[in-house]
Amino acid sequence: MKKLVTVAIALTLVGLLGKAALAAPPADTLAEVKKKGVLVAGVKDSLPPFGYIDEKSRTIVGYDIDFIHAIAKKLGVKVELKPVTSASRMPQLQEGNIDIIAATMTKNPERAKQIDFSHTYFFTGQKFITKKGTVHTTKDLEGKKIGTAKGSTSEQNVKKAIPSATVLSFDDYPQAFLALQQGKVAAVTTDEAILAGILAKAPNKAQFEIPNVQISDEPYGLGMRKGDKHFVDFVNKTILDMEKSGEAKKIFEKWFGPNTQFHLQRTFKITADK
Amino acid sequence: MLTYQFDWSVVTSGKYFEWLVSGFKVTLQLSVVGIVLAFIVGLLIAVMRMSNFRPVRWFALAYLEFFRNTPLLVQIFFWYFGSYKILPTAVNDWLNSTNFEFAAAVIALTIYTSAFIAEDIRSGVLSIPREQMEAARSAGFSYLRSMQYIILPQAVRITVPPLVNQFLNLAKNSSLAMTIGVMELTYQARQVESYTFKGFEAFTAATVVYLVLSTSITALVHIYDKRVLNPNRAV
Repeated sequence: MKKLVTVAIALTLVGLLGKAALAAPPADTLAEVKKKGVLVAGVKDSLPPFGYIDEKSRTIVGYDIDFIHAIAKKLGVKVELKPVTSASRMPQLQEGNIDIIAATMTKNPERAKQIDFSHTYFFTGQKFITKKGTVHTTKDLEGKKIGTAKGSTSEQNVKKAIPSATVLSFDDYPQAFLALQQGKVAAVTTDEAILAGILAKAPNKAQFEIPNVQISDEPYGLGMRKGDKHFVDFVNKTILDMEKSGEAKKIFEKWFGPNTQFHLQRTFKITADK
Repeated sequence: MLTYQFDWSVVTSGKYFEWLVSGFKVTLQLSVVGIVLAFIVGLLIAVMRMSNFRPVRWFALAYLEFFRNTPLLVQIFFWYFGSYKILPTAVNDWLNSTNFEFAAAVIALTIYTSAFIAEDIRSGVLSIPREQMEAARSAGFSYLRSMQYIILPQAVRITVPPLVNQFLNLAKNSSLAMTIGVMELTYQARQVESYTFKGFEAFTAATVVYLVLSTSITALVHIYDKRVLNPNRAV
């Protein structure tokens, strides 16, 4: 018995040391990316229209992806896309597995302590998707179960806005939506643009709606390693130029405009953060 | 700037500590309820598996093969999401108004582990000499009574070490319940990580707690074994 405990503790320690001893990520990503000739981006692959697998081309496409391509083009390097989840994207970046996060990531002060964000490249707000006619204000959700995905800011916002609600975190949004369809949760909550994507894909979309109940502002930023100043400056300059040239607006219209199923208005412009 | 700053205070006090404690309570509940139920169901299935009545034996065999040979995660999703399709609406409405997440996790853990426990107990029974059953039957005990009073008490004693393995597996497998939103220890550790980005500290704390839980289970069964079941076992 005693031996067993010793062995178990020894194994734990070996595991811990192994993790700590991993090679450090590059300090100057800009130089590093140019040197290896490829920009590795962490993106969502099941979240239309931000990042999802296109059925025809079998590649990941979307709003986030177009920004990555534009940045890589400016750098003159190739693009490599790595699917990440809301929970895995920050560790992946910090461990150096990816160079940049373009995965519907909300900028907030806690995250900004760990990584650096670009200027806001997409702006949305957190809402709910519910069965039609069941929710008109946040009051209708008090004491109910609400579904969302793990590791996202949505969870924290909804706990603040409706403290009496029980938040169930699923691995991904499709699962949370399945729980809504089966009545296991009264609503699924996250950013409106993502909800619009879920609703657009739903087979029985007529039964659901996104009521006009907003509980937070959600500015999205591209995530880079903390203190990686050259790279952050380069990315910021690139997306500001994209705004000036109209390319950013074109990308928005391509994925959210009147020719898509989302019909979102572009209520923001890419500007330098104060 | 890129080096990781350790901050153990995150997991030793305050709000996040409370989250981990509440997660541990749920893990403990899952483990204890699961172990008790899995043992009872496992015992039943083992007896059915050795029954002379064919339909009962076949049922037990199908149960064993089915639940031993499919991943636990799939079974959890089956009970939680899949059951919706086969149950009447009224039952679904009632389930959804309760803490069905916890119940579905317990059902999945119980059934999955009971299949392994049943096989362990069966191998214990097979190691008891046939003559004992024959002697019991000729002394006038029915098949079930012979099992209950003569065979199983001995078989379970022999089976203690493999049973501990199954109990430990169940305790650790309970972490899969987080996939359907049960707020157990691993779930809470991940919560702490996504709120504080101190994943290293959070998961280290969770690892230590699992280690303590598992060694406690081993120690408890060991003591029970020594004091009650096999006071004379020479190990």
